[in-house]
Amino acid sequence: MIEKLKEIKEKALVEIQNISDKKSLNEIKVKYLGKQGELTAILRGMRDVSPEDRPKVGALVNEVRSEIESRIEEKENRFDEEELANSLASEKIDITEPSKFISKGAVHAVPMITDKLIDICVDMGFTVVDGPEVETDYYNFEAMNIPKNHPSRDMQDSFYITDNILLRTQTSAVQSRELETRKPPFKIISPGKTYRNDSDSTHSPVFHQCEGLVVDENVSMADLKIMLSEMMRRLYGEGTKVRFRPSFFPFTEPSIEVDVSCPNCKGEGCKTCKGTGFLEILGAGVVNPKVLDIAGIDSKKFTGFAFGMGIERTSMVLNAIPDLRTMYKNDVRFLSQLK
Amino acid sequence: MKVTYKWIKDFVDIHEKPEEVAKRLTSAGMEVEEIIYQNEHLHDVVVGKIVKIEKHPQADKLVVCQVDIGEKLTQIVTSATNVFEGATVPVSLPGADLVNGVKIQPSKFRGVDSFGMFCSGEEIGIDENYFEGAGINGILILPDEMKAGTPIEKALELDDVIFDIGVTPNRADCLSIVGIAREVSAIFGIPMRKINLSYPIDIYSKDTVRNYVNVEVETKNCKRYMAGAVTDVKLSRSPLWMRARLNAVGIKPINTIVDITNYVLVEIGQPLHAFDQTLIGGNKIIVRQAKTGEKIEALNHNTYELDKETMVIADQEKPMVIAGVIGGTNSCINDDTKTVIFEGANFDLKCIRLTSRRFGVMTDSAQRYSKGVNVANAEIGLLRALHLVDKLGCGKVARGIIDIASEKNESRIVRGSVSAINQILGIEIKNETIKNILNNLGIKTVISGDRIECEVPPYREDIINNNDLAEEVIRIYGYDSYDNIDKALFENASVTEGQVEPRMAIERKLRNMLVDYGFYETVNYSLCPSNICDKLLIKDDRTRMVKIINPISEEISCLRTAMAYSLLNCLSFNVSVGNKEARLFECGRTYIPKELPIKELPVEENFIAFVVSESGFDFFHMKGVVENSLSLTAVEYKLVPSSQPYLHPGISADIVCGEKVIGHFGQIHPTVAKNFDISAKTIYGEISSDFLASKTDKRFVVKAVPKYPVVERDLAVVVDEKVTTEELMDAIKSACGKLLFGVKLFDIYRSQALGEGKKSMAFNIKLSDETKTLTDEEVSKVINKALKSLSFRFGASLR
Repeated sequence: MIEKLKEIKEKALVEIQNISDKKSLNEIKVKYLGKQGELTAILRGMRDVSPEDRPKVGALVNEVRSEIESRIEEKENRFDEEELANSLASEKIDITEPSKFISKGAVHAVPMITDKLIDICVDMGFTVVDGPEVETDYYNFEAMNIPKNHPSRDMQDSFYITDNILLRTQTSAVQSRELETRKPPFKIISPGKTYRNDSDSTHSPVFHQCEGLVVDENVSMADLKIMLSEMMRRLYGEGTKVRFRPSFFPFTEPSIEVDVSCPNCKGEGCKTCKGTGFLEILGAGVVNPKVLDIAGIDSKKFTGFAFGMGIERTSMVLNAIPDLRTMYKNDVRFLSQLK
Repeated sequence: MKVTYKWIKDFVDIHEKPEEVAKRLTSAGMEVEEIIYQNEHLHDVVVGKIVKIEKHPQADKLVVCQVDIGEKLTQIVTSATNVFEGATVPVSLPGADLVNGVKIQPSKFRGVDSFGMFCSGEEIGIDENYFEGAGINGILILPDEMKAGTPIEKALELDDVIFDIGVTPNRADCLSIVGIAREVSAIFGIPMRKINLSYPIDIYSKDTVRNYVNVEVETKNCKRYMAGAVTDVKLSRSPLWMRARLNAVGIKPINTIVDITNYVLVEIGQPLHAFDQTLIGGNKIIVRQAKTGEKIEALNHNTYELDKETMVIADQEKPMVIAGVIGGTNSCINDDTKTVIFEGANFDLKCIRLTSRRFGVMTDSAQRYSKGVNVANAEIGLLRALHLVDKLGCGKVARGIIDIASEKNESRIVRGSVSAINQILGIEIKNETIKNILNNLGIKTVISGDRIECEVPPYREDIINNNDLAEEVIRIYGYDSYDNIDKALFENASVTEGQVEPRMAIERKLRNMLVDYGFYETVNYSLCPSNICDKLLIKDDRTRMVKIINPISEEISCLRTAMAYSLLNCLSFNVSVGNKEARLFECGRTYIPKELPIKELPVEENFIAFVVSESGFDFFHMKGVVENSLSLTAVEYKLVPSSQPYLHPGISADIVCGEKVIGHFGQIHPTVAKNFDISAKTIYGEISSDFLASKTDKRFVVKAVPKYPVVERDLAVVVDEKVTTEELMDAIKSACGKLLFGVKLFDIYRSQALGEGKKSMAFNIKLSDETKTLTDEEVSKVINKALKSLSFRFGASLR
């Protein structure tokens, strides 16, 4: 019997060893371990074994059975692994096929910059304010120290609705309103659409500005410099330099033009900056005490500074947009490049 | 404004390079926009004398000239016909690079060497007005006294450097050579030379100005009127130096008298006018407002009809000049002029601005007066003109001048504080430095302690307070002093909390969501043509639009009253260029007048509007966009059929919150699709972002998730087409009552078998009880109840 068992074991192991598919393995399983299997047959023959030999034979049967079982399982696992590997190998896709998920759109080049500026300014303690685009002459001009028939009106050609109502030429109009109602100290910015009677390759009759105003005690031109440097660094990138040049705006005194080092060539001089290394980017200055007086703010106690910039210009520089007019055509072939 | 470097040197003894002067002017606020070198194309062009002319051996039309060019003779072959032996001519030598692009090299003409070219006036860049003979179609013949070998830029005084300067509106005093010279003087700390205003007068002479003219000023718009007389006038070409300067700044030389008025205009910034004395009726100049209906033929040969808004210089019979703007032909300098009256006047800026604008005449004179001329300049200008008359020897100055002034302009004292100036600038500048800068600017300054007292000259009307003084100091001191400033951000300022604007904030959320949904943001003009309502089939209040009275074009002459116009227009453009599918949106405003004609500001409302033209994208896709947009807010709303004229009446919805319609969306009306040349399947929608901004405070009330199992049942019923999903859902909800966990429509099916006008609606119903596990019987009971309700209320039958 023992001999028989050994023989079965040897035979089974060899057969298992030589098997090459899962189906045959199953057959072997049935052949040896099934109800009609060879080992089962041996067990059935235990009746004929002497009682003193039974434990020994029984143990051997179990040993052979577990040996065969574990070999079969081993082989099964190997077949499963191979099968998985084969199916993984055959299920290769072309990952360069297009995405089936919805493709994102994009924010427009103009509000993209406005959003950035708003974030920077709110971080710095500015409150964002809004006002009408159709505005009175008073808020747009007179409250900003630009009296009727004054030469400084030549700087801005307006679209008129009536003698006294016009499309705002600057978002400072919002600031005139805020100056009347807010109590200093405050910091505000007013982004929005503005309008000027001017249309050519570098001027759009409708454009966007963002102007800021700080009214406080103890603020100076030096604070303006620090603030603009920080703002421009965050807008144009690390290492951006800011330069002041004298200029004139009726609502600031002293008034300055502010240049930033060209983000394209880092101040080396290139096509974008016409070789100067700098870009004229915004106007600013110390608030003219007359403007505070007009609004009823004590100009002896409070000082302030203001700045204003065109959004389109900044966007054109930062996004390398070659033509201003592209911005308003909204051609999807343009917009999709802003993703 | 153009000024020349040599002209500036008349008043300031400066020897810096022109580039350095330009740089410093710019950094002091006088932006030099361009530097023009007159001699840029005149190098290697010299005066030559033709010594000998011989026929060309090979060509009939050419001659061979031996030319004295100073140190040597050179040979030039020419086809010019107006040259002769002994002629003095401009010669361009090898290396020359003429203004018309011609570059000179030694060459051979039919075998004969030629080492240059004779030049015409045009090739040197001058015309007949500038130099006699320069306008002819041939070689410029120069005066014999010019020495051979002299560089042509010297011989013809074309060696100046011109600065084109952008003068800001507050500095009208710098719209002149003297004005810029004062700046140069202050910047470099070189004192100004006095302007020569002298001319010889015989103090005993009885020949006084009053023998020729009397002046009456009848209008307040004339602040000062001065007149001088010149007799024995000899009209001729002005000397070359004067023509050279006028030419350099772009003014055409005419004759001595006219050139003198222009010269003074540029040099002093004072417009002058010259009358032929014999044409002044009654020898009397009257400065008055025009009478309605009076006419004048101006020097530009247009005739203007005047009214009492216009100031004129008249004689006893007629208006002679539109004051400060343009002269008339009836009294101007002409070939027979023997006696001249010079006017040096000061007129009200507003009056001149309005007149100049109204008639559309912007002469150099009108331009100066509209920007502001100092009252003191009338005298300086007039005396300078009389000085020049004497210097040019073109007439005899009569004794005396007439001066009628209602306004004097004298130095003013401005008092300020040094600490205030330093506080404005945020840097410390030494008292001594402040004093020197202001003194150099002609502002006599005394500082004692903190007090600063400044005597401001009349021409600096812009300086009145500490801020003005601070600006004067810093622009000369230099803004580069801020380059390395070391301060913390808002070091001494109050702490303020930054706040977003609610409407912009909610728009930002919506915009970002739309971008995630594949939409592109557009930015459109809020201006539009007047016919947008026609195109959009709108017949309500929105047809009354805010109109611009001075539009650039009809296309952008009104403010839009409907957002749809811009986006549909934008879509239409995209379709026309081949972008057939697009998802677009815009944040913008409409402008609705409160009344017409407009007295008050119109109502501006902000919207977020979206449009999609894409196969397979229908009303219900847009409904999802709308629902998800609104879920970013706390708005509670319902959808009702819309009556927007530009939407399809059966495939559109209004978004209603309480009583207010806050938006709408749907497929566009087929006629509108045609009007914009876009697909009839285009889906458009808009929501008032102003309204959303008021509903951003979204709160959540969260219920516990069910403890006991949720049971699902599907229920498909057949109903009439007209029964809405909402009605069926509501019925299911009320039938299931507290046990309802959720209900969803998952299929709609239509077929012949169901019958015409019928549809099958399949709902997935989820039930649960908070206190126990539901039994089959309980579930069946509820579902049966729902089915009964549906069949009772809507005639629904189980499918």
